[in-house]
Amino acid sequence: MGMYMLPSVITDIVGSLAMIVLSFLSLRYTFLLVRRDPDNFLWSFLHYFCLTLAIFAISRAMGHMVKQALLIGGQKEAWKIISPFSGGLNTLLMISVSSVTIYYHKGVEGYRAIQKKAESLRIANRDLEKASTTMREMNLHLEEMIEIRTRDLALSEEKFRNFFHNSKDMVFFCDDTGIILDMNRAGLEMLNYNEDTNPDLSLNRLFADHTGLETFYSTLLDQKFIDDFEIEFIKKDGSVICALLSATALYDNKGTFRGCEGIAKDLTRLKTMTSQMISTEKMASVGQMAAGVAHEINTPLGIILGYSQLMKDDFPKDSEEFENLVVVERQSQACRKIVADLLKFSRQSGSSHGKADINEILTDVLAITEHNLHLDHIETERCFAENLPVITGDEEKLRQVFVNLINNAQHAMEDEGGVLTVRTRFSEEKGMIIASVMDTGTGIDQTIKHRIFDPFFTTKSVGKGTGLGLSVSYGIIQDHKGTITIESPVMYKNSCQLTPGTAMHIHLPVPDKTTTTD
Amino acid sequence: MRQKISPSNRHMFLFFSAFIFFLLLPEQSMALQTHGEPEGIYVHQMAHILYMTALCYLYWDTKRSTFSGRGWTYLRIFCVFTILWNLLALTGHACTQQLHPKDFSVDDGYLASKINMPVTFIKVLFYTAKHDHLLAVPAMFFLYMGLRSFYIHSLEEEDE
Repeated sequence: MGMYMLPSVITDIVGSLAMIVLSFLSLRYTFLLVRRDPDNFLWSFLHYFCLTLAIFAISRAMGHMVKQALLIGGQKEAWKIISPFSGGLNTLLMISVSSVTIYYHKGVEGYRAIQKKAESLRIANRDLEKASTTMREMNLHLEEMIEIRTRDLALSEEKFRNFFHNSKDMVFFCDDTGIILDMNRAGLEMLNYNEDTNPDLSLNRLFADHTGLETFYSTLLDQKFIDDFEIEFIKKDGSVICALLSATALYDNKGTFRGCEGIAKDLTRLKTMTSQMISTEKMASVGQMAAGVAHEINTPLGIILGYSQLMKDDFPKDSEEFENLVVVERQSQACRKIVADLLKFSRQSGSSHGKADINEILTDVLAITEHNLHLDHIETERCFAENLPVITGDEEKLRQVFVNLINNAQHAMEDEGGVLTVRTRFSEEKGMIIASVMDTGTGIDQTIKHRIFDPFFTTKSVGKGTGLGLSVSYGIIQDHKGTITIESPVMYKNSCQLTPGTAMHIHLPVPDKTTTTD
Repeated sequence: MRQKISPSNRHMFLFFSAFIFFLLLPEQSMALQTHGEPEGIYVHQMAHILYMTALCYLYWDTKRSTFSGRGWTYLRIFCVFTILWNLLALTGHACTQQLHPKDFSVDDGYLASKINMPVTFIKVLFYTAKHDHLLAVPAMFFLYMGLRSFYIHSLEEEDE
């Protein structure tokens, strides 16, 4: 009896074969892994581990199988010789497998370090990519924002630039010393400056009134703005325009006054229109009164004249009474003439309108008056426009108007002589004929300018005029739907220099062709 | 005429004299250490211990590392089986040293050889250790399975 060793022999042989097969199958997979990923340390380690293990398995299995074969064949002595070599080889291979495994320690550390580095690099890369994406988005957003802001800014700039350039009022910016830094086109046109010349302008130079300038600055500094300040600006040619100025003071961050920005509106036209309206209203009311007075006086005057003529028959011609009645009759006739003039002024007298040639009328008038003018050393100049349209009007009354104007001109130049210029022209744009009577006389004082059309207003000495000449002329021109304007001092012969003469401009409308035909 | 010997030639003569002396009388030189019979088995046993230690380390390191997946589990099972095999082999070799040729009987041939009675602990231990392939083969099988898993996983990763 005993423990039979046959099971262990069978296990030894089968197990050894299985070990060889399994070790080579394992080696195949490590080979495939290394081939797929040669840089992977783990696959390399497992490959060498399996290679050593396969050699160990072969060595051990071969040893076991040879042992079993020799012992089964009764070759115990032969196995005794081989046994130490087989055992020694197995020992060596076990040490090799152990060494590979221990070597794995260092290798895997390196591999882990590389992996850690790779991981941190991957994370850094991912973070960098994320940051790059964020930056790109931000950049894109920033670009969009800049684009929007720039567009808004450009629109705003264009809006204000258009406002500045297209404004019909003067817009300007000036520094703290009053020097105009920028002025829009309308402002320069208002002051008669050329836009391209870029003139050196300052408030000190522009303000006509020094006191006004001081008031402007003091108000601006006190209130930081000035509103609807009525001032007069001096134009390039020296003439003055009336303007309504509003301005705002400009300060820097430290609160120091840096200048102002202002808007000025030209009031000259408005003032002229207002003045004209006032004048028209005044003349209309004066005319009404004159007409009433004339009508009331005309009847008793007619009776006085009639009776005086009847009474003359009652006295002999050489008698004193007859002479007195002649005086009464003459003075009554003079009064009737005045009354007739008043009626003409108030347009109450009858008129016969027909075709009238202004050039022809002026030629007639000059023919009558030229002799007297020459006596006063007054030269006459005729500047008649050719092909002047014919107007509809009362030739006789128009003739009277021009006689009045020429008489006034003569009166203005009677002491020192001068030049009387009579000019006609046609303004197609306005559809008006403009007839001007200009003299180089003393001119009209600004203080009486607004009164010269008033009835009985005269600067002539007593007995030389009734003061009805211009009033009558005014009434006649009004009756012809025209206007009469005064220019004094006058720009003589477009010389760009003002001379102390007077120009009376009469604007008469030219009827439409259709109207004329009808 | 007497020739004078130079110092360098004298040194060469002394060196070669000593070399010939030790070559002829090796026992006196104490240069070689003799290795007795038990040394082979000790080295083999130490190799088993070294192999076992290496596998313990491999098991521990793969366990603590971030390596995860079925392949690494199979590799750790391989480590366990191989450690057990090493222990069994170590025990088997130790038992062999304790047994005497008289404890074995090969009278009816090698295939009918047996361990003689009485059955002792050492004899049972030796008999068990002789079946070490029952641990070694499963160990190799799990190694094979582990590597196969790595390869399949690698293919799947590439497909992804």
